[in-house]
Amino acid sequence: MSSTRAFRINGAHLIVAWLLVIAAFGTLVSNPFVVTLAGYTSAFALFALSINVMLGGLGEVPLGQCVFFGLGAYAAAIGMKSFGLPFELALLIAMAVSVAAAAVIGALTLKLTGAYFSIVSWGLTGVVLVAAMNLEHVTGGPLGIFGFPTITFAGVDLSEPRGYFLVCAVLLVATVVVLAAVRDSRFGAAIESVRQNPHLARSMGVDVFRQRLKAFMLSAPIAAMAGALCIPYTQIVTPEVFAVSNTVDALLMVLLGGSRLLVGPVIGAMIFSIIPYFFNMDPNVRILIFSSAIILIMIFAPGGLHQLMSAVADRFTGGRRAPSGI
Amino acid sequence: MDLLLQTLVNGLVVGSGYAVIAVGLTLVFGILGIVNFAHGAFYALGAYAVFLALSVGVPYLVALPIAVAVVVAVGFLIELSIVRRSLYGVGNHGSLIVTFALAQVLMALMLLIAGPDPHPVRSPFGQSNLEVFGLMVAGQRVFILLVSVAVLSAFGLWLQRSVRGQQITAVAQNPRGALYSGINVPMIRTISFMLGVGAAGLAGGLLAPITTVFPTMGNGSLITSFIVVILGGMGSISGAMLGALLIGLANALFETYVSVQWTPALGWVLVIAILLFAPQGLRGKAQLDRY
Repeated sequence: MSSTRAFRINGAHLIVAWLLVIAAFGTLVSNPFVVTLAGYTSAFALFALSINVMLGGLGEVPLGQCVFFGLGAYAAAIGMKSFGLPFELALLIAMAVSVAAAAVIGALTLKLTGAYFSIVSWGLTGVVLVAAMNLEHVTGGPLGIFGFPTITFAGVDLSEPRGYFLVCAVLLVATVVVLAAVRDSRFGAAIESVRQNPHLARSMGVDVFRQRLKAFMLSAPIAAMAGALCIPYTQIVTPEVFAVSNTVDALLMVLLGGSRLLVGPVIGAMIFSIIPYFFNMDPNVRILIFSSAIILIMIFAPGGLHQLMSAVADRFTGGRRAPSGI
Repeated sequence: MDLLLQTLVNGLVVGSGYAVIAVGLTLVFGILGIVNFAHGAFYALGAYAVFLALSVGVPYLVALPIAVAVVVAVGFLIELSIVRRSLYGVGNHGSLIVTFALAQVLMALMLLIAGPDPHPVRSPFGQSNLEVFGLMVAGQRVFILLVSVAVLSAFGLWLQRSVRGQQITAVAQNPRGALYSGINVPMIRTISFMLGVGAAGLAGGLLAPITTVFPTMGNGSLITSFIVVILGGMGSISGAMLGALLIGLANALFETYVSVQWTPALGWVLVIAILLFAPQGLRGKAQLDRY
């Protein structure tokens, strides 16, 4: 990317291009199944982005991120069903609830790092799953919550595939814009320093625990938004939303797309749902293939497909390969 | 009083089952520094191997060693092809993702081959109940207790008394030093990985008649082993055994006197409390990175 070019591609151009693609896809593609799938993929890509705030941002593997995904789904569902709130308000409340939950959970668990953090966060999903099963008067127990009135967002009917896709896709773009701003902010730099070397960061005056907690509290509402946006698609919220398989799907998306790239999770989400759709893949075959891909990627290109591509590009352009691993 | 005694006996017997699973996990962590998220998948693999062997007419007591051999062989191949290539010395971040993906691969394979339905497994001890001093214990549970005590004490002795066992201990303490002393570190690592997953396979075969066999059975057991291993102290074998018995007892008491529905949450609350207030566990070394 030489800066001497007359026309430099910057973030704003990319966003406009992305919005144009969304508008074109929303108006030109008429197959309702494909459009709905694209909407659901956008919603799930939000969850993958949330996971990448932790994985790419902090360098932690948040196996329990589906706690916030599920909290978002449950809070929005309860808000709509029990209190008759409009979807927008329920969504906001769901995000607020998840931030509060992240503050408490993070204060307790973010002292831990690496595998210990992953194990404990995974364990929390078990606790929350049991709670969702047993607190029947709040969560509806194993049967879950269903039978929602028509869900609208800013006047757009979400039961209609095109409306659902447009709302999810625009919220996805908005989230990426926010995350890009965060990445370039002082806070983003602090997070990056914590990821690269927490001890050095602390010696430079960064409050490591505080920055980690802030990143965790940033990731939670994104997951909650994803959880709430899945309701118009699934039409039901059961304790299954807390199942670790949701985290597995989103984690595979992040790793496929590359955790070092801001839109990596979005690319990963597209690969993860488009390829199985075209090959009519069984969900288990999908997990099998993508998990095997992850193992291969981790052995040969720990930075994800993005790193693989740039390594290939370097081969062709004769660029020097960066030293791999430290 | 009878109820309390019965509960304590149940807890100890269930805990001995946990011990076999958890020892494999703690072994792989203590020697290789890998947090093996695929441990539960090897456990399920052992259970499936027993189920398949039984379905072609092999008796249970023969099927059990066959299952362990199958799991050890699969572990050997995986160590050679994946673990050795990417996981030693990279810290637990990379090993976590790879072993987690490996678990997904193994589980998806089992799902595709054997289907999602749970299968019952018959064992010769399955139908009988033993009555000792008025306390009832299921026959299979007694068998698990006996096998786990035998295997774990034999393993402990082997580790302390044999040359190979001492080499394993040396690699666990200081791989570089062990290498300089002429120990074949890669081979010791392969053996340790095979031992670790072999223990998981044995546990799967032992517990299959009680839990039935299904592809995701490994998740629950992995979570239980994490609880046990963290309670005992990561990497400590005696700690894992002690932790297993304590968790077994705690679960049984909670189930009897508080609530069956909430029991699955108990272990996690314990683990979080331990990690926060006594991160080295019962017998482990304090080596946590904390902020």
